[in-house]
Amino acid sequence: MDSAIQPDPSATPTTDATEVGAPQTSSIYQERILPTLRYLRRNRLMVLGLTILGALALMIILSYLFYRQTDLYGEEQGVDGLSTALSVPARIKPSWNPWGEFPLGTDEQGRDILAHLTVGTPLTLRIGLLAAAIGIGAGMILAFISAYAGGWIDAIIRVLVDSLIPIPGLVILIIIATALTPGKGLNVDQLALAIAVLAWPGPARVIRSQVLVMRERGYVQMARMSGTGSLGIIFKEMMPNLAPYILASYVAAVTGAILATIGIETLGLGDIDAPTLGAMLYWIIELGALLKGQWWWLLSPIFVIVLLFVGLFMISAGLDEVANPRLRRRV
Amino acid sequence: MVLKYIVSRLAMFFISIFVASTVIFFLPRLTGQNPLEEKFYQEAQRGGYLEDVDEIVAAFEEQYGFDKPLYQQYFTFMVNLTRFDLGRSIFSWPKTVNQLLGETIIWTLALSLLTGVIAFVIGTIMGALMEWKRNNSLLMVSFFPFMIWAAVPYFIFGLVLLTVFSFAWPVLPGYGGYQTGVVGWPNWSELDFLVSVVKHGTLPALSIILVSLAGWAMGMRGMMVTTKGEDYMLLAEAKGLPGRVQFYRYAVRNSTLPQLTGLALQLGLIVSGLLLVEVVFAYPGVGGMLYSAIRISDHAIIQGTVFVLAFGTALATLILDMIYPLIDPRIKYGAT
Repeated sequence: MDSAIQPDPSATPTTDATEVGAPQTSSIYQERILPTLRYLRRNRLMVLGLTILGALALMIILSYLFYRQTDLYGEEQGVDGLSTALSVPARIKPSWNPWGEFPLGTDEQGRDILAHLTVGTPLTLRIGLLAAAIGIGAGMILAFISAYAGGWIDAIIRVLVDSLIPIPGLVILIIIATALTPGKGLNVDQLALAIAVLAWPGPARVIRSQVLVMRERGYVQMARMSGTGSLGIIFKEMMPNLAPYILASYVAAVTGAILATIGIETLGLGDIDAPTLGAMLYWIIELGALLKGQWWWLLSPIFVIVLLFVGLFMISAGLDEVANPRLRRRV
Repeated sequence: MVLKYIVSRLAMFFISIFVASTVIFFLPRLTGQNPLEEKFYQEAQRGGYLEDVDEIVAAFEEQYGFDKPLYQQYFTFMVNLTRFDLGRSIFSWPKTVNQLLGETIIWTLALSLLTGVIAFVIGTIMGALMEWKRNNSLLMVSFFPFMIWAAVPYFIFGLVLLTVFSFAWPVLPGYGGYQTGVVGWPNWSELDFLVSVVKHGTLPALSIILVSLAGWAMGMRGMMVTTKGEDYMLLAEAKGLPGRVQFYRYAVRNSTLPQLTGLALQLGLIVSGLLLVEVVFAYPGVGGMLYSAIRISDHAIIQGTVFVLAFGTALATLILDMIYPLIDPRIKYGAT
């Protein structure tokens, strides 16, 4: 990361008004935060992506804290209560009136769509973050083992990775889901695990090649000659330099995992009663929401999903730029 | 050297297929479910009374070979796969999975090949132009929507298209692969039928084309930035070559190659996306069939379809890997 956030020598100091009032004594601020901010000003994609996801998070938090409705029995319900099926049973028809009681409308099953999204978006994100974390972790360990052990261990891991990459993940997920829970779908945590099982080959391949390149670099050889052990080299010398690559693969893996969960849930192989985004799409297709003219039911999850993917895509593109300075825009 | 590369790449292909088919065989069987019993008890519940269910199940189990030991089943399964014998459907008995696939795979192949080629060609050229003509405001403006499009999954975009063009402003059909309700269709020699096929295919095709086109354009644009800085581009300009020649023969040709690598790596994702598009539009392809098989738990169809999809994707990747060194003289066989 060090090389990526070096202060840009060509940046003129006069352009930054905030610098004048900046605390002169804080060295961390000057050495770390300020260059990062300066760099972010050029890496506009990353900023945009972070802003989009931040705005989405803010909306969800606000809705969690302040959105309340009274239910059939006159009791006040938060989003958790409102997002379960038949929370507003038969009281109202599925309808949409932005200035009425339910800002995003209600669905066929009487669920409040705003509440559904507020609970469902973090749930879907959780699947993605968890699956990607497990996948990247496993991929990273295999990558290091493969690069360091060499020989037949390396060969086996490479063959495994190369032979798994061309198989479409979704169809294997379909087999896993239909085999493990016949008739029902996978629940949220099982889904995360199932996706993680398929998420490691890509990162393993990318990180392995980076480790191989890095092992021959001067500073690693220097450390080795001064007697640092393999683990020391991995954690002290390589990890800080691998960080941008790992982060970029992580964001890509999160995107892939969210795509997989939404896909598998749309097919009805997830937990169709959990208020996730994918389960929402399943019900929309299953109950023919569009045929009945309930377009608002589709609009809100689509909007959230698009924001999610666009935000992640932009962060991923921004991280690519950090990891690979040759892609950096000329100022 | 060449031979060694081809042999090792072929071996990799067979390992892919082997891993996939082993997973397909063992996962459902190790969890101890019995699709046949499920089916007949479902039938019994639906139809009221069904005599001697256990005996019928036993008879069918013999047909499917479920009464034999697992290793023997596995051996038969693998031998049958080498002959592309995928067994018989459980619910559409006695149709074979091959018959059912034969009815559907043509739709999927047509849709995927057509959209894939169109999106790749247009996207690559547009991406190249975006970087080449930086002063063209129209191309510069298109950068941002492309960025958003490239990030969205096909079927999500498909749902948007469906809402807009099939419901809000109903100009195109959004369900099925051709106009239903006419006796004697599908009939490929009739003009009306072909027109309805094109009409029904437009929205699914558009949702794939527009999204993947944007993806290729973004990738190509990135590559063009690098290519433009190369010495041979300077040389081409210094030689006074016309702009068109510089563009197509020097810039595009050199930047397209990494795009092909991208294609090979993304095939799995593309196939997954295609399946979901077919589900959204109830297209009569493999994805649509898989979806309805999942609905009724027809494990024979699910497993057969999954095998064919894994096989097809691995084969396409193999072909791309094989021709890649032919296109790019800088890559040598086996130089990995």
